[in-house]
Amino acid sequence: MNTTVIKTGAPMREADMNDATPKMEIRGVSKTYTTRKSETYALETTDLSIGTGEFVTIVGPSGCGKSTLMMIAAGLEEPSTGEILVDGSPAGPAGPKRSVVFQRFALFPSETVAQNIGFGLSVAHVSKVERTERIKEQLTLMGLEQFRNSYPKELSGGMQQRVAIARALIVRPEILLMDEPFAALDAQTRTVMQEEVSRLHRRMQSTVFFITHSVEEAVYLADRVVVMSKRPGRIKKEISIPHDAPWRTGDIEDAMTYGDFNELRKEIWDLVREEITTH
Amino acid sequence: MTVAVRSTRRAAPRKPSTQSMWRRELARGKSVLIGVIAAVVLVIIWYLLTLPGGLIQPLFLPPPQGVATQFITMLSEPYLGSTLWGHAIASLGVVLEAWALGGIIGIPLGIAVAWWKRARWIVWPLFQLIRPVPPLAWIPLAIVWLGIGDVARVAVVFVAALVPWVMNSIEAVRSIDPLLVSAARTLGASEPQILMRVVVRTGLPTILAGARIALGNAWTTLVAAEMLAATAGLGFVALNASRVLDLDTLLVAMGTIGILGAALSILISSAAQWIAPWAED
Repeated sequence: MNTTVIKTGAPMREADMNDATPKMEIRGVSKTYTTRKSETYALETTDLSIGTGEFVTIVGPSGCGKSTLMMIAAGLEEPSTGEILVDGSPAGPAGPKRSVVFQRFALFPSETVAQNIGFGLSVAHVSKVERTERIKEQLTLMGLEQFRNSYPKELSGGMQQRVAIARALIVRPEILLMDEPFAALDAQTRTVMQEEVSRLHRRMQSTVFFITHSVEEAVYLADRVVVMSKRPGRIKKEISIPHDAPWRTGDIEDAMTYGDFNELRKEIWDLVREEITTH
Repeated sequence: MTVAVRSTRRAAPRKPSTQSMWRRELARGKSVLIGVIAAVVLVIIWYLLTLPGGLIQPLFLPPPQGVATQFITMLSEPYLGSTLWGHAIASLGVVLEAWALGGIIGIPLGIAVAWWKRARWIVWPLFQLIRPVPPLAWIPLAIVWLGIGDVARVAVVFVAALVPWVMNSIEAVRSIDPLLVSAARTLGASEPQILMRVVVRTGLPTILAGARIALGNAWTTLVAAEMLAATAGLGFVALNASRVLDLDTLLVAMGTIGILGAALSILISSAAQWIAPWAED
């Protein structure tokens, strides 16, 4: 584990964090895009471990390769070097062990909310009874019951992203990957969604790997913030956030009233800003 | 967890407001009304022009009432072997057969061409060569190979219907958002599942638009084909009527061709609405 600061949290959780095998391990991963004319070095050799139940956010300037890292972590892109391990074994091609929530929602337009949510179960031929049960559970969890028969185009952005999160959670992934999931939402909706994801994470103890360009969001949600340099991306610094941080129970607007939160935010923002202003 | 509580203050799904729906209905009603008035005015002008001693001789344009009478007569009395119904059914039968055949072959062909490179390499050059040949140019060949029966006409109409089926199926697959394919893959879908459930289903509105164009093409081609080689059908009626300068019958045939063509178009648009209700308007 690269984590250096772990403040005391719930006992069970500490046991998880000290578990020898990380939930996901990004080992020696780099990416070079080769076209006929040129080679683009998108991602320097990167190592990162994510513990079971840990919420890791990656923040960095745009174009720093954080989305590339996410695509590789999801198995949607091949790394040029290195490998992705889940529970200590090679993760293989993309699949429901690592479900993804995308910035542009990526809901299937021809399917209703309930069908979208159940997609991962029906392609795995889960029985209709169990499918119905689990879809219902997700609809309740996400507050989507009244929209079950709506089509995505009939929903607001926030609702669409709720469907996408439910669709990713229903397959019970080992790790949930989120690629700037709230970047396309308006500010108020984003605040509400951040709080819901934070609450969901604490309740379900899910492992989350979350990409964002918002420093506040990174600090507010994370157990650990990973700061990336500009292209070619590499991990610049990892900062652990106290597990018992007082802002975890409120929304991000409340969080900004805490001095500790703002200090962390400032520290991380300075790191990010160096990457934007230096050439 | 207070998610359940929060849900009560969430907004209801966006629905068009009653007011805007009213306005749309009103606009639709207005446009229909204008269309009806235009048609009535046209018939009145037609009537005035063809009055005895009027500008146009009945030999060139019979009066509307004459055409209407002929229409009613033809509904019950056979003309060249069958009633107007019979001829219409003969035409529709050939069109629907050729159109359906075009879909059965065109949809998989288009999807295959768009999805698999190898299929594209094999089929595409040949298809590009055949596409610019007007369907009617196939008629001589069809007559030589297949005679002047229904089979020859189905073959010619099939060629006309096939092209839009194929083109739109290709477009349906090509226009798929790659992110949807990625999403499906991360949820554990296999390649065939992605193709059928994501790509084809999402592209269905485009394929259905192709179906409508194909049906229009088929209908116009059929009438032309019947004029050259047929023993029944609306085009056949029109051609024979013109040969004996029976303009009443000719206009009845043309009117029927127009009405049925429009009806087919409306029918397939409504079917598309029903099959793919999620499609963008």
